[in-house]
Amino acid sequence: MIGAQLAGNLTQGLVLGGIYGMATMGLSLIFGVLRVINVGHGAFIMVGAFITLWMFTALGLAPIIAIPIALVVGMALGFIFFYSAMRRLIKAPELTTLLATFAIGILLEELIKLVFGSEFRGYNWAVGKITLPITVFPMSKIYAFIGSVAIALLLYFWFKKTRAGTAVRSVVEDSEGARVCGVNVGWVYALSFAIGIGLTTASGVLLTMFIPVGINPYMGGGYTLKAFVIAVLGGLTSPYGAFFGGLIFGLIENGSYTLFALIPGVEAFAMTRFLSFVILLLILLIKPTGLLGAK
Amino acid sequence: MRAKIVKYYPLIPVYAGYFILFMIGKNLPGMWQLVAMLAFYCAIGQAFNIFLGMTGYVDFGYVAFMGLGTYGMALSIAYFYQVEWLGIGVIVIGLILAIIMASLLSMAVGAVALRLRGAYFAIATIGVNEGFRYLIEGAKIWGGSEGIIFSGQLSQAFGVEKASELSTFWADISVFLIAGIAAFITIYYMRGKIGYALTALREDEDAAKVMGINVTRYKIIAFITSASLAGLVGATAWALKLTYVFPPEAFEIHYSVEFIIVVLLGGAGTLLGPIVGGLIYGLSKYWLAVIVPGFQLLIFAPIIIVIIVAFPEGVIGMLKQRIKGTVLEKFII
Amino acid sequence: MLLKLENITKRFGGLIAVANFSLEINSGESIAVVGPNGSGKTTLYNVISGVYFPEEGRAIFEGKDITHLPPYKRASLGIGRTFQIPRPFSSASVRENVAVGALFGRLSGKVSVDESLEIADRTIELVGLQPHRDKAAGALTPVEKKLMEIARALAMKPRLLLMDEAMAGMHPRDIDGMVRFLKKIKEEENIAVVSMVEHIMRAVAGFAERVVVMHQGAKLCDETTEQALRDPRVVEVYLGRPPEESHA
Repeated sequence: MIGAQLAGNLTQGLVLGGIYGMATMGLSLIFGVLRVINVGHGAFIMVGAFITLWMFTALGLAPIIAIPIALVVGMALGFIFFYSAMRRLIKAPELTTLLATFAIGILLEELIKLVFGSEFRGYNWAVGKITLPITVFPMSKIYAFIGSVAIALLLYFWFKKTRAGTAVRSVVEDSEGARVCGVNVGWVYALSFAIGIGLTTASGVLLTMFIPVGINPYMGGGYTLKAFVIAVLGGLTSPYGAFFGGLIFGLIENGSYTLFALIPGVEAFAMTRFLSFVILLLILLIKPTGLLGAK
Repeated sequence: MRAKIVKYYPLIPVYAGYFILFMIGKNLPGMWQLVAMLAFYCAIGQAFNIFLGMTGYVDFGYVAFMGLGTYGMALSIAYFYQVEWLGIGVIVIGLILAIIMASLLSMAVGAVALRLRGAYFAIATIGVNEGFRYLIEGAKIWGGSEGIIFSGQLSQAFGVEKASELSTFWADISVFLIAGIAAFITIYYMRGKIGYALTALREDEDAAKVMGINVTRYKIIAFITSASLAGLVGATAWALKLTYVFPPEAFEIHYSVEFIIVVLLGGAGTLLGPIVGGLIYGLSKYWLAVIVPGFQLLIFAPIIIVIIVAFPEGVIGMLKQRIKGTVLEKFII
Repeated sequence: MLLKLENITKRFGGLIAVANFSLEINSGESIAVVGPNGSGKTTLYNVISGVYFPEEGRAIFEGKDITHLPPYKRASLGIGRTFQIPRPFSSASVRENVAVGALFGRLSGKVSVDESLEIADRTIELVGLQPHRDKAAGALTPVEKKLMEIARALAMKPRLLLMDEAMAGMHPRDIDGMVRFLKKIKEEENIAVVSMVEHIMRAVAGFAERVVVMHQGAKLCDETTEQALRDPRVVEVYLGRPPEESHA
């Protein structure tokens, strides 16, 4: 009985984890290239969520269409914020970059609030469901998972096979060395930041396909915190690590929730979150390069 | 001997500033609320500056120390309010508990996080902050997610009138006192061996090590000092004033960010910086809320971005450059 | 015997940076460690000052095994160091920078802040940076930063001073002055000075009595300066084989 429930929750967790992982890839990419932690990460997810909401309710378009739109909008935002602010902060101490990205996040939250108001909204994209022996999946969740994996694979090939992707990888390894080899490091910074933001915004679409309710300007905060745990799990500098970190996180989150719920006198939801931060600290202590990280 | 006293001259503008602030609040009708809020930001800014400003490490979970200080006071009042002979001792115990709890947490955080650098440290502090908060909520410690409300106990222990006095006047005065203590500790550190060590490790931690500085030791000293002061602020400005403690508020990361802004605005690592930062930030927050309610953050956010990009050394940081070679150098640091 | 290195080997992954290196330094000696880029000089310095710990071998300073001692503890034993690219504490004044050396060096725990400032003043005068004493270190010219770097290390009152390319980029006239200066303090303070240079000709500027040539992480030779200048192995490392022996 418990076993079936656990198995069901774990499967759900794995699927959700894939989406979380994809959502974190942008964070890891930006940190890997620019050594900047985007504390406003959740706000960009929120922007993607609102794009989906608006396109669905105002234009009647399926969320799948919103994915590339959000990617493009995200990249545009990325370029804007990079050239207006972040570029000057590349060599700045952590204090300034952390605050700057945080302020950018706040700015986005307030702008969205101005346009859309602060109520909680949602949408219902009814496309049927899939019934497995241990659990039930609405098709929208399945599409979201497929979308996440697809984007992750696309990114993988982009990194490995294209010139631009290779240039980015070289800067992550050693920016001075890359510069000496003729890589236009400044452009790589801008592109990486833009792609990172684009990925994050697109992930907002996928997240709403999984959880189509509770969309409001301030929904990002919780996702930012989760993203930090996932990014550390997978190794802060590796986007692939982030994806697998997400899968692991999803499993742990749902699995631990099921188990904590069995203990009386304990608030399962809070304990699950507690556990995730304990894991974060353990990894930082023992293997800061992440479970899957290299050197 | 004279040289020793000259070292402390920079405290003069600091204490003068606090005195003027206090006088304004006391004598101008209706200003006390605002003054109390400004004093709050100045005090916590001074406390935070001892770590953030002097080491350059960003503690996103700093609010947790205030939160623990709040719990310290709350627990003392909630559990000891019936002990007649303690009298005002309940408050004293609360303050001591606040310091102990905050410093214990800082030692725990220090052991884990201080060996990490830069961004990794910042994330670790978030981990501790959130982890601690969810532990309290999840394991239902100290009232769990409902927190502790102790206004009733406070009134019972001291009588309604005295309790009200404690909650308002005495709580606010304490904030001023803490600010003063924090300022003194700041300059004591700055002029002493620890100040040199912290400046060195902030500028170039590896070179500092080679010069003979045990960076871990000095980081921890700064951290515990800063955390204990934060605990005191939490015990007074939050616990005594509000007479409740509530985990989501006590560990809210937005507060940490506010305090970071205060320190950065004024000038990280300077003595006068946190006061200037506290005043500017507090006043801006207040006025924006009055002039454009609902839109404060929308206006604030881009301003913060501009300030960070264009003026990373803060108001006092810039001022120090201008007054080099003048008499003011002795007073403005 | 001031410093003894026994069979030091330092690896980075598969790369061997320093291989089976042994060396003895006595008080008051002046030695040049010579070798092209990649020969392992910097790694050697980092092992001596404690930034790296070797995989094999031992380092013994004044009879004490310091192989795994953290860097800050070595400073109080009397090991001082300058960096090739100076690392000033930019926002602090020159005076404060040099005082750090005095405060945390060999006299750590025995001098007060005020005494350290006095030592700093004297050392700053010694290197000729008096006019810049209260300037922010970040505002100095590169040559002045190098001088401050040396002053800071000297304020540590070291017994062993590791200098990293101290004279690179200097005008020959300044180099002469630097050499005279180093000789003077060496004699007055009984410091063993190890100077790391890339090309042997700098060592020839009358400073080093002894030359240690490094090549690909290993010690090529360890002899007096005159001997080293004539040593065919050294010539080969820098100039290649003489023309009549090279292939057509």
